[in-house]
Amino acid sequence: MTLGATLRRVRVRPRMRIRELVLLASVSMALVVGWASLASHVAGSLTLGRQFSHLVLYLGAVFAVHLAFVVAGRRTDQLLLPVIALLGGLSLLLMERLPQGLATQDMGGVELGLASLQLLWLGVAMLLVAAIAIGVRSDGWLRYYKYTWAAVGVGLLLLVFVLGEETNGARLSLRIGPLQGQPSELLKVILVVFLAGYLADNRTLLAQASTRFGPIKLPPVPYLLPMVAMWGIALAVVIFQRDLGAALLFFSIFLTLLYVATRRASYVVLGGLLFVGGSSVLYFVFGHVQDRVDIWIDPFVDPLDRGFQIIRALYAFGRGGIVGTGLGAGLPQVGESLAIPAVHTDFVFTALSEELGLLGGFVILGLYLVIAERGLRIAAAADDDFRALLAAGLTLVIVLQAAIIAGGNLRVFPLTGITLPFISYGGSSLLANAIVIGLLLALSDRGPERLAAPSAGRRRGFRAGMRAVGGRIEKVIS
Amino acid sequence: MDAFTLSLWVLRLAFVGLLYLFFVFLARALWRDLRTTITETGRALGRLIVVGSPGGVPPEGLSVPLDAVTSLGRDVNNSIVVEDDFASADHAVLTFRGRAWYVEDRGSTNGTYLNGQRVENVAPMGFGDELQVGRVRFRLERVAPGA
Repeated sequence: MTLGATLRRVRVRPRMRIRELVLLASVSMALVVGWASLASHVAGSLTLGRQFSHLVLYLGAVFAVHLAFVVAGRRTDQLLLPVIALLGGLSLLLMERLPQGLATQDMGGVELGLASLQLLWLGVAMLLVAAIAIGVRSDGWLRYYKYTWAAVGVGLLLLVFVLGEETNGARLSLRIGPLQGQPSELLKVILVVFLAGYLADNRTLLAQASTRFGPIKLPPVPYLLPMVAMWGIALAVVIFQRDLGAALLFFSIFLTLLYVATRRASYVVLGGLLFVGGSSVLYFVFGHVQDRVDIWIDPFVDPLDRGFQIIRALYAFGRGGIVGTGLGAGLPQVGESLAIPAVHTDFVFTALSEELGLLGGFVILGLYLVIAERGLRIAAAADDDFRALLAAGLTLVIVLQAAIIAGGNLRVFPLTGITLPFISYGGSSLLANAIVIGLLLALSDRGPERLAAPSAGRRRGFRAGMRAVGGRIEKVIS
Repeated sequence: MDAFTLSLWVLRLAFVGLLYLFFVFLARALWRDLRTTITETGRALGRLIVVGSPGGVPPEGLSVPLDAVTSLGRDVNNSIVVEDDFASADHAVLTFRGRAWYVEDRGSTNGTYLNGQRVENVAPMGFGDELQVGRVRFRLERVAPGA
């Protein structure tokens, strides 16, 4: 079959995306200038630098995604791709600037450094965004198998708990052959899918209060139970893995989605009280929680050990001032030692704010705000409850994460180690966020197509088999 | 200050400037979207186009803006009167619930068809779908922004 015939068969009509193209052109211009700024500073003369091919490759990938969108002709959102393209570009700039030895991996005899690895992951992430945004036309596979997804998520976590490796006292990574990943990144997407599916099915029941609990009205207990159980399992395992950032993120997503679905402030108040109670218990039980809170209140008590990282970060913000020190001129690195430990994962916001100043910091936060606006707009325009809740939840994943880590960097909240979406180094985080953006894009296309419920016996072969298995799991769990 | 330091400064500030230029473009796009959303509210939720009408009432090509509840049938009290021998007096009703259109058959003799399939009870209806009442065929369309 020729390409033309294939395109006709799936009813594809190319559609220009002028807005996206203009925004992408502006992103590329900015990134090329930024690249020149960095390379010139490092080399001591005006140059684009030896690693300019990295940027060319990256922009090539971004424009390839744009072209794929044009050819596919779906009416998806045109602002999200430029925004994540800029975030990824800033990430690449920063990774190019940091010492390359921070992360290395041997790939078939070629040793790849920090920037090359990040470039590789950014490329895969772009591919994933395109594949999901173009390919996902039905949300049935998410909607109808929510319990299966929840089971998969819990399974992943347990797998990490048993087989995982420890880094910095947290048991997070799973190693399969040469590949290493952090399943908790994927888990937050799965959690949103489950919560959206469950809340969409039961929101009217949850919104009606029928159980009285002192002055607080609660929904019928049986309907709340699966959700609380899911949340409890996720939270417990995460706490035992000492991944506080993820725990905070899960809890915030849970509460916000509950509010979005039921529009009842009392749940949020109740959740907030639970959170305060839980955290105070954790504070007294776990030493590492106590550490985090103590250095948040006053990092200068222990400036050379526990408070070192956060003090360094505060100094970096101060050094940056309003316009910043300029790319390459900051001090994420003094000689061979890092000025801020974990600068490429947890403190990327600090590093960029130092070199681009307050103005640059505003740009980064503004980009996440734009993602929030687009995501919530997609949610508001969605055809039904599941899609609305899913879009709202996915948006929250990115925005809350950015808020938690940027606030941690700035000592607004106690620091919890999570990644800044699309900027921090790390494949798992990039891929999870790419899935989120891909799904948001897919949801933003309000085509005339209706999504049909899975019908038994109409399709044969592998897909029918998968459906049957999924359906059985659903029945067992529910 | 030598030329190189100066150009470094220029590059630095140009980078931050370009980042803000991108923001200006973003803000413009956001503002335009917001304005279309504002003008969209208060407009019709959709419209029905008459695609085929053997009897001539309603005439082919007629476009009817829809209310949240629109009834179809041969009775004159319906929002859209379908003068067709195969249509019942109270044939079908279209409702806009929350975010989507639904079509409901009101126990018509000859049935209501959505894209060629008989509507059993209530069926969700998307923009672009074809509805058949009696022998008269309609297409549901979105009211285009700016129209």
